[in-house]
Amino acid sequence: MAAVRMTQVTALVLRAVAAGRRHGFDIMDACGLPSGTVYPALRRLEKSGLLRSGWEDPEKAREEGRPRRRTYVLTGSGRAALANAEAKLSEVRDLLRDLPPAPREA
Amino acid sequence: MTTMARLWLRIVSVLVPGADREEWLEEWEAELAAGGPGMDPGNGPRSATDAWGALADAWTLRTEGWTMEGMLRDVRTALKGLARKPFFTALAGVTLALGIGANTAIFSVVDAVLINPLPYPHSDRLLSVNQTAPGLHLPVVPHSEAMYLHYLKGFKTLSSFAVFQQDNVNLEREGDPERVASAQVTQEFFDVMGVHPFLGRGFARGEDRKGAEPVAVLGYGLWQKSFGADRTVVGRTVRMDGVERLVVGVMPKGFAFPAKTELWIPLPIDAQNPQVGSLSYIGIGRMAPGQTVQSVQREMQGLLYSFADAHPDDLSRAVMKQAGLAAHVEPLKDLYVSDIRQALWVLMGTVGFVLLIACANVANLFLVRAEARQREQALRTALGATRRDMVRYYLTESVTLALGGGVLGLALAWAGVRGLLAMAPVALPRAGEVGIDGSVLVFTAAISVLSGLLFGLFPVFGYARRDLSGALKEGGRASTSGRERHRARSTLVVVQVGLALVLLVGSGLMVRSFVAMRDVDLGFATRDRLSFHVSLPSAEYPDAASVGAFERGLLQRLRAIPGVEAAAMTTALPLEEYKSATPMEPADHPVAQGKLGPLVNVRQVSPEYFKTMGITLLEGRGLTADDEAPGVRSVVISEKAARTFWPNDASVVGRYVEEQGSKETFEVVGVARDIRFEKIAEEPGALLYYPVAPTGDSVPQPARSLSVVLKVGAAPLGFVSAAREALRAVDPRLPMVEPRTMAGIVRDAMASTSFTALLLGIAAGIALLLGTVGIYGVISYMVSRRTQEIGVRMALGAPRGSVLRHVVRQGMVLVGVGLGVGLVGAWGVSRVLSSLLYGVSATDPATYALTAAVLALVALTASWIPARRAARVDPVEALRSE
Repeated sequence: MAAVRMTQVTALVLRAVAAGRRHGFDIMDACGLPSGTVYPALRRLEKSGLLRSGWEDPEKAREEGRPRRRTYVLTGSGRAALANAEAKLSEVRDLLRDLPPAPREA
Repeated sequence: MTTMARLWLRIVSVLVPGADREEWLEEWEAELAAGGPGMDPGNGPRSATDAWGALADAWTLRTEGWTMEGMLRDVRTALKGLARKPFFTALAGVTLALGIGANTAIFSVVDAVLINPLPYPHSDRLLSVNQTAPGLHLPVVPHSEAMYLHYLKGFKTLSSFAVFQQDNVNLEREGDPERVASAQVTQEFFDVMGVHPFLGRGFARGEDRKGAEPVAVLGYGLWQKSFGADRTVVGRTVRMDGVERLVVGVMPKGFAFPAKTELWIPLPIDAQNPQVGSLSYIGIGRMAPGQTVQSVQREMQGLLYSFADAHPDDLSRAVMKQAGLAAHVEPLKDLYVSDIRQALWVLMGTVGFVLLIACANVANLFLVRAEARQREQALRTALGATRRDMVRYYLTESVTLALGGGVLGLALAWAGVRGLLAMAPVALPRAGEVGIDGSVLVFTAAISVLSGLLFGLFPVFGYARRDLSGALKEGGRASTSGRERHRARSTLVVVQVGLALVLLVGSGLMVRSFVAMRDVDLGFATRDRLSFHVSLPSAEYPDAASVGAFERGLLQRLRAIPGVEAAAMTTALPLEEYKSATPMEPADHPVAQGKLGPLVNVRQVSPEYFKTMGITLLEGRGLTADDEAPGVRSVVISEKAARTFWPNDASVVGRYVEEQGSKETFEVVGVARDIRFEKIAEEPGALLYYPVAPTGDSVPQPARSLSVVLKVGAAPLGFVSAAREALRAVDPRLPMVEPRTMAGIVRDAMASTSFTALLLGIAAGIALLLGTVGIYGVISYMVSRRTQEIGVRMALGAPRGSVLRHVVRQGMVLVGVGLGVGLVGAWGVSRVLSSLLYGVSATDPATYALTAAVLALVALTASWIPARRAARVDPVEALRSE
């Protein structure tokens, strides 16, 4: 399984899926990113095993009068990667907080 | 989900690897159909842009597993392959360069003029804030002083609101006086635009009120050109229109709003005693955060009602209703580009068609080539290349070629844009900013890659799928599945002919509009007339007496120039932009109270105007110097005005008219023929001619912005320097502005039509050329493949004539189908053209028939040449070559 580079986009997408957004367009809305950014990220994440995709219950879709939608969920390694990314992020945040303030530009 | 979105997904899905394609489509269609939160399901796509990402998605899936080294290797192989066939490569490259270059050139104009016409901070928040009066055929009704003050106090949905008025001022400096495009603006103007002077300051509160100290802000270009980029100019005074103004600031480079403005001076708003009825200030505003165009519109409508209620005498609800007067808020960019927008989008679509035709041609070349390469392909497969490898290789080759064509096209576009702008209508906003910049480069790269994929996919689907072991055995000349290959090529010919016909019909319609406009009887003469502008500063020409003296003095000197047959002046020549519609009424039967009188356009003209302009007087006389004498109130009206006021009377000289609500009556001394004065394509409206400088202190004011016109023996532009001398002798401080011929004015008025006609013509010409090459290529190829068969037929006794007919018929069947498709397509597309047309219907049968006939004839020639070659086949030779 190919490793995926953790970027702002992939972290956002993972976060959105972890928060329970299951469909592509819902993830776009949650991240505020266009489809041309979110979908390639989803494909890469799925390929590297951080996400797993499936299809929603067709019964439910039929009740709502629309075609069935693809669903995305985090895998075990996805959860680990997200935790890892969030830990790194908060490390950076701490680092930034502890730095002396930048001198004002003249 | 819209049909367009569905179609888009289908097209994009060809990129997705076959195994995933079905699920991929299902996912995208379901997402688009699902809609967003708070939206009805089934109403998507939520925004058109949501579907665009499908391309990026499909590309990700297609390129999965492509590595950098692999791609570089493919590019190298592709380049080598292309270099081995220089003729093929050059032909395909030039074809693509034409298509891509045309698209790049037009896109660079569209980008500067339509997509990004206001390069200012957060320009999406900039609004045009005015009224509209459909009842009076006025799309935009500006503000009066009182309205401005009312809105300024009331607006909560705008973070700033300003009004302006375009103007020109005479800059008086040592040497020749200079005429500068200026704008009078209120204090908030620079806040609205979000741009402030980089040197000095903008206007301070109160500087835009009557009686304030006169100040000015310079534009960057003017500062560079006329002040030598001297920073100390801020704080000095400069004489403009006879007034010493303190320069308080210089605007940064690139700021020119409204278009071409180089100097900003404050509007002297009279806050104590504001004018209510004179509507001449254009309103602009910056939306406050969280507001929408609709919310601003709603607030403004409320403010307009409260304004009307506060001024019932000037603006009753009845008049408002009759005029359809309503608040009108729209994005500011829509206000400035509306005229040219349609034409530019049509051109953009046109060059898109040209690119499609070019792609079809290149696809055809690739098909032919792929056939010749079956052996090579079979060999690669035998050596272990997978289908995916082959697809990748083919696409790399076509995209590499397309990018090469794109680079060449960029060079063509760079040259083409220069030519384009030289021909462009004068009204093209921001023409100076058009050029090849970042977004144009991205666009060129994108269409290059897309066209590479488009024509590259043809051979991929035609050949990569096939069982190739047969090809290897057969030795290159596979006759199997010839039908399939032929079908692909035939489809391309049909598409090409169809697209070419659409473009030919479009350009035919534009040419007919151009001819119809040229043949319009304008009502005035255009030959051998020279015109120029001059504008009199009110500080030095304060009253009718001084303006009248200037009028007489200049005309006398101009008439004394040898070769000048007549001279006159007016507030605006026909077809010059000038709006002055006033409700008027005949004095003997005024319009009922609370109703609006007929709108009449007003001009002020000097003696001999009608003679100089060649406008026939149908009754009475023209205006003379005596009509400017004290106590005399004379006017000439146009036929249309006469019919409007007195529909049943043959003679109207000696009757009286008045501006509605005014007690001042004017005697009609003459009736002039109708002329086309606003647009060539518009039926003449009602006109009324006052003298230039009537004595008396009410309507009309003496005219200070004047267009002078001379009737000369020949070669009008040869009189410019003599006319300038005459002006200098009367007042050396006044610059002569924009000398041009009457014929030039008419040409400019037609520029939008002739520009569109010319570019459509060029595009149609390219389409015809490419289409012809396509047909010729397909038929000759067919002939060359079937030489043996033809040889056999002839050996069996088929006469040459029948062979010729047979081949030509095959070509013409394709052309016929293409023409049918094209006629339907043209009929569908012509609707978007209809607003650009004049004097010809968008579905004019003659144009359709003629262009189809021309195309058929050209196609006939293109298939006849290879057919003749077929008919000359020597049966013995043909059979021996087996």
